[in-house]
Amino acid sequence: MRFHIEVVHPERCIGCYSCVYACSRHLFNAVDPSRAAVFVRVNGSLENPFTVIACRFCKNPECALACPRGALQSLPEGGVTLIASKCEGCKTFDCIDACMIKALALDKRTNFPIICDRCGDCAKYCPHNVFKYEEMK
Amino acid sequence: MLSRILYVNLSERSIKVVDRPDLFSRYLGGAGVASKLLLEEAEPGIDPFSPEAPIIFSTGCMTGIFPCMVKVIAMFKSPLTKNLGESHCGGHFASALRFAGYAALVVNGASEHPVILEIIDDEVKVKMADSLWGLSALDVEKVLRKNEGMHSVASCGKAGENLVYYSNVIVDRYHHFGRLGLGAIFGSKKLKAISVLGRKGIQLENPLAVKEMYGKLHHKVVTSDEMSKYHYLGTPANILELNELGALPTRNFKESKFKDAESISGETMAESLLRRKISCPGCPVACIHLAGLKTSFAPEHERGKEEIFHEEVLVPYNYEAMYALGSNLLVKDKEDLIRLIYCCENLGLDAMMMGTVLAWTTEAFEEGIITLDETQGIKPAWGDAEAYVKMIDNIVEMKNKFYAKLAQGVVAASEKYGGREYAMVIGSNGMAGYITGYGSIVGPLVGARHSHLSNSGYSIDQKILNQPISIEQIVDFLIEQEDWLYVLYSLGTCYFARRIYSKEVVCEALKTLGIDKTQEELTKMGKEVFHNLYKFKIREGFELGEQNIPKRIFDVQTPHGRLEFKVIKSMVDYYIKKREKEGLHLKPEEKALKELLK
Repeated sequence: MRFHIEVVHPERCIGCYSCVYACSRHLFNAVDPSRAAVFVRVNGSLENPFTVIACRFCKNPECALACPRGALQSLPEGGVTLIASKCEGCKTFDCIDACMIKALALDKRTNFPIICDRCGDCAKYCPHNVFKYEEMK
Repeated sequence: MLSRILYVNLSERSIKVVDRPDLFSRYLGGAGVASKLLLEEAEPGIDPFSPEAPIIFSTGCMTGIFPCMVKVIAMFKSPLTKNLGESHCGGHFASALRFAGYAALVVNGASEHPVILEIIDDEVKVKMADSLWGLSALDVEKVLRKNEGMHSVASCGKAGENLVYYSNVIVDRYHHFGRLGLGAIFGSKKLKAISVLGRKGIQLENPLAVKEMYGKLHHKVVTSDEMSKYHYLGTPANILELNELGALPTRNFKESKFKDAESISGETMAESLLRRKISCPGCPVACIHLAGLKTSFAPEHERGKEEIFHEEVLVPYNYEAMYALGSNLLVKDKEDLIRLIYCCENLGLDAMMMGTVLAWTTEAFEEGIITLDETQGIKPAWGDAEAYVKMIDNIVEMKNKFYAKLAQGVVAASEKYGGREYAMVIGSNGMAGYITGYGSIVGPLVGARHSHLSNSGYSIDQKILNQPISIEQIVDFLIEQEDWLYVLYSLGTCYFARRIYSKEVVCEALKTLGIDKTQEELTKMGKEVFHNLYKFKIREGFELGEQNIPKRIFDVQTPHGRLEFKVIKSMVDYYIKKREKEGLHLKPEEKALKELLK
């Protein structure tokens, strides 16, 4: 099952990282905030509200346009998919740099960008409905 | 199971990593491992402020993996009690340390100049930090904060630098190694802060089973009534509940009802000053409640007297700080109360012990055993927050001999000035906000760290209100509870989640991590941890007995009537007998003591 996911209430975030951990468990069988496709970011101090960032499934994704090898293919429903054979962990990180909201991170073990696969776990584990999510038809 | 321990020696600026599977397979981490490391690292009779005095931090084997596994256990020799220092803290610290690849951290030695310890995965550095000395822990957090990954800052404030015996270490702004004076140990080592960034994470070995278990636990945590209290009003819900019950310490424990409880209740706070709630990473509960405190601009920049242009600072409030600086001091203005808490936060003080000290001082002043000479002209009066703020400053600055004594706690002060009978400490540690019955006194008295969280004595008092049980049954409960809590504290569990992690659940969760332990084995382990801690306590001269209780508690009305000395004495005697049967001799013969000192 795949979901459309959107961060709609970042102000509700309590910094529990349940979304991040769920994502990391799903994608990498790990608990590792640096290996996830959703981010809870601290802004200078824990006194400030958190920023929650997830892929916005752009119709014309910056990341895909930036890749010189065409390794990120944009999808009709928005967002991208990774064609691993074309991505060689190019070390220029064009895709990572291109994403304006910094929703793309690099998997430090493989040097591949980490792409959200729309599993919905982030939204399911969020205790405060920061995310809106619905099943994709 | 991760079993790497990072050792840092601040005198030699040396760093080593030692793998200790022996310790971790036996004790699982947390309090269990820390108790052994403390016995290994601390020389008998060591001065808490000597460079050789160690600080142990240990995470649990479940840290970061399951919900509410958020605590780091710190162990050290307490300057306040001259005995076991044990303090638990949430925030990002446990996860950051674990994700950096360490199960525990041992800090030894002392620096000549202010330093910070910076850990970024395998890169460990001791860095000069003169520029941070004198700053509050809140400012240090801002300076050192990294925005990416799992990062934590643990810092002492001015109180720690000045060696106030009950100074704390503030972690990630809103969390504390609150009790027993860890801040002063940082100060004595010229260690301003520890900054940990963990980027390695944890690779799950049996992901399917862990995911399933996680799902079940997460559901329980977010839906159970037991946890919802911590989220909605938080622990401040206790103010009205305990007041109703007649168990809310008021006027230095002279009374157990506060007529103005309503004005500082959790409900009042939630309706007026509450701004945000936050969580520890890995816990969906958000028990940390933050109140907005207005800070005014300079008078010339305010529009008239109304101070409508203001900044706001967020201050964490919880029941213990609210009883200690609220009802117990008759502070009834909610903003005054938050200001007092902020004052402790800003200087890095254990708010509970600070309340105990101020309450004792106010009463001692009333009694005339201290005068304006000692207080340098400040008149401590019930409810007068302004006077209290000034006194807190004077204590941290140790303005004169009197304030320097207060900086050592109420036992030290009452030994010099008198008033021991209303110095409200048990085993030298400031009492928690419960005068619920025998459990609330005997619990912290026998507890290894003299905390209400040692064995939930205050909770059994409330449960048995209408179903009288024998004092032996209360003691049995305390023993069983503390032994089991040491299992949870070895896993990394937060006390608030104790009802989620039953024996059965813990066994099942451990199995998903490849750890096979029966309930009996776990219970035995918890007992062993407790015994280890008492070995340390006895070695350092602790004597369990009624002498550690202030007489005042026999004068106040509790939900169980007035407490009687002889009942407490027989409970302690029964406790000693029960522990003796387990092989723990709480009043060791001289020969056995020598054996311990070896």
